[in-house]
Amino acid sequence: MQGTNAHWWFVGPALFLMVVILLMPIGIATGLSFTSYSLGNPGADFVGLENYEKIFTRSTYEKMFGATFRYVFVVVPLSVGLGLGAALLINSTRRLGDLYKTIYFLPVMAALIAMAIVWEFAFHPTIGIVNSTLERGCGTFLESWSWYANGCERGFPLWLTDRNYAIWTVAFIGIWQGFGFNMVLYLAGLTSVPRELYHAAEMDGAQTAWDRFWLVTWPMLGPTTVFVVTISFIRSFQVFDTVEAFYPQGGGPSKSVYVMMFAIYEKAIQQNLMGIGAAITVVFLAFVMFLTLVQRWLIERRVHYS
Amino acid sequence: MSETALQGTPSVSLASFRFSTAETVKHVVLILGSLIVLLPFYVMVSYSFKSPAEIMQNTGGFFGAQELFRDDYCIKLGRDIADCMVTPIIYNYTTAFEKAPLLRYLVNGLVVTVSIFVIQVLVALPCAYALAKLRFWGREAVFGLVLFCLLIPVHAIALPLYIMLAKVGLTNSYAALVVPWTISVFGIFLMRQFFMTVPDDLIDAARMDGMSEFSIIWNVMLPTAVPALLAFAIFSVVAHWNDYFWPRIVITGDRSLFTPPLGLREFKGDADGDNFGPMMATATIIVAPLIVAFLIAQRRFIEGITLSGMK
Repeated sequence: MQGTNAHWWFVGPALFLMVVILLMPIGIATGLSFTSYSLGNPGADFVGLENYEKIFTRSTYEKMFGATFRYVFVVVPLSVGLGLGAALLINSTRRLGDLYKTIYFLPVMAALIAMAIVWEFAFHPTIGIVNSTLERGCGTFLESWSWYANGCERGFPLWLTDRNYAIWTVAFIGIWQGFGFNMVLYLAGLTSVPRELYHAAEMDGAQTAWDRFWLVTWPMLGPTTVFVVTISFIRSFQVFDTVEAFYPQGGGPSKSVYVMMFAIYEKAIQQNLMGIGAAITVVFLAFVMFLTLVQRWLIERRVHYS
Repeated sequence: MSETALQGTPSVSLASFRFSTAETVKHVVLILGSLIVLLPFYVMVSYSFKSPAEIMQNTGGFFGAQELFRDDYCIKLGRDIADCMVTPIIYNYTTAFEKAPLLRYLVNGLVVTVSIFVIQVLVALPCAYALAKLRFWGREAVFGLVLFCLLIPVHAIALPLYIMLAKVGLTNSYAALVVPWTISVFGIFLMRQFFMTVPDDLIDAARMDGMSEFSIIWNVMLPTAVPALLAFAIFSVVAHWNDYFWPRIVITGDRSLFTPPLGLREFKGDADGDNFGPMMATATIIVAPLIVAFLIAQRRFIEGITLSGMK
């Protein structure tokens, strides 16, 4: 084998594509982010840091960061928490575990754009199943909850068009879609926890399931948790389908759902402002790469929170 | 989890069928969760069966009454009223295919996902083999580059990719849908890890038999890699069949290139009260293939989708 050049034929195509498709775009985005380029114009003006200055000072982009972080910091903890909770429950029941697992995994398989359109129906103020179900609870004990009583009296919220609810509703759909994925990763993690550890923990006086969870399960799931959290971050940072389906123009009521991917799409593709789109891309990449690096660093330290 | 673990292997006994409060509470929670998870699927399938009136008034249960109703569009075409009475379910599903070229979208989706997967394998497999089994100058550097590229989500660099494609005049083409995905660094990484476990003796024996490096890849390594490839295939096909963001960016207006998600989105754009049923039928048709495949081969799918967890 040595002395032949076969390996370059094997590595060459992949190397070429990696450079052209993955590395060059980063360079191009960085370069364009200092210009006021538009597609179709022959040249572009160098504007220095102006685009970045806009991103970090203008209120539109403040809303963009607000919406993105609100979304991410709701979806990540809840989809990880629910994923873990579901995995623990499924793992501890004696029957039907596989059935629940299948059901919870369905949203991961379904095209999000299709399900977003269906959710829009479900949340429809007049013909939607969500509000009509809530109305059925009126006049029961639920009315002692002031929010509920209020809904019965003046109508339940316009989930997707009220700016106090919109981002949370979109986040809910994100959680609905993602937690089954986390659940499956946790279920895989749970199978690798050695059973003897639970016996040992019991000897040490960990009597309740709660104690055993904190003493054994949670530390042993450390590496899984690091991975699940990172991948949830990266996935939720990239939210786009639901936002575009609900708010094709402008990013929702008062721009309250104007997330970063949608901002890139709107600025660069719809409005042909490539410079500012490129600057958002660079900031976005910085976030995502930073998160992945933190994850790798944690994994390499072989996380076991103890 | 801890309970079963502590009891060791719970022997099948009468005890396990006894009523237990903790067990009941768990099932109540899990069933409530299932209902919320299934809600949109229920809405989607149910609406795809119902007539416009039933959708608007929220009547008819799951299947709808399936009473004949008048298709106004058909009457507009000047046909006899008696010929224009249709059953909701048939109306919804035929309209889904007639109003938009749904079949074309499905074929596009298939062509795009299959081409992406095939090219990914053609590119990644030889590279992974070289990285795992050949010694050459620069190998560590190439592998380092692979590890670095794993950090880059392709959606995040969509904008510069779009500009590059526009510059070479490739937007609005099949190539635009496929090209950015031809390189899967994840596939390279995965296959490399897999090939590392293949014994060197196997390859040496093949070389002894006078096989070229090229035929070793396709005749020796590929067959051993089938399980990993299958998982990767599922991972890749699910991601690209469902992808909406990238097609949205590079395909503008030309319906003949629409993938299923784009077709559905456009349907939504000009849907009015009468078209909710057909729209839900379209959604059902688009979501169904993967869901059905998943239900048939669950274990494989879960392996494939969570493959990224193996890093």
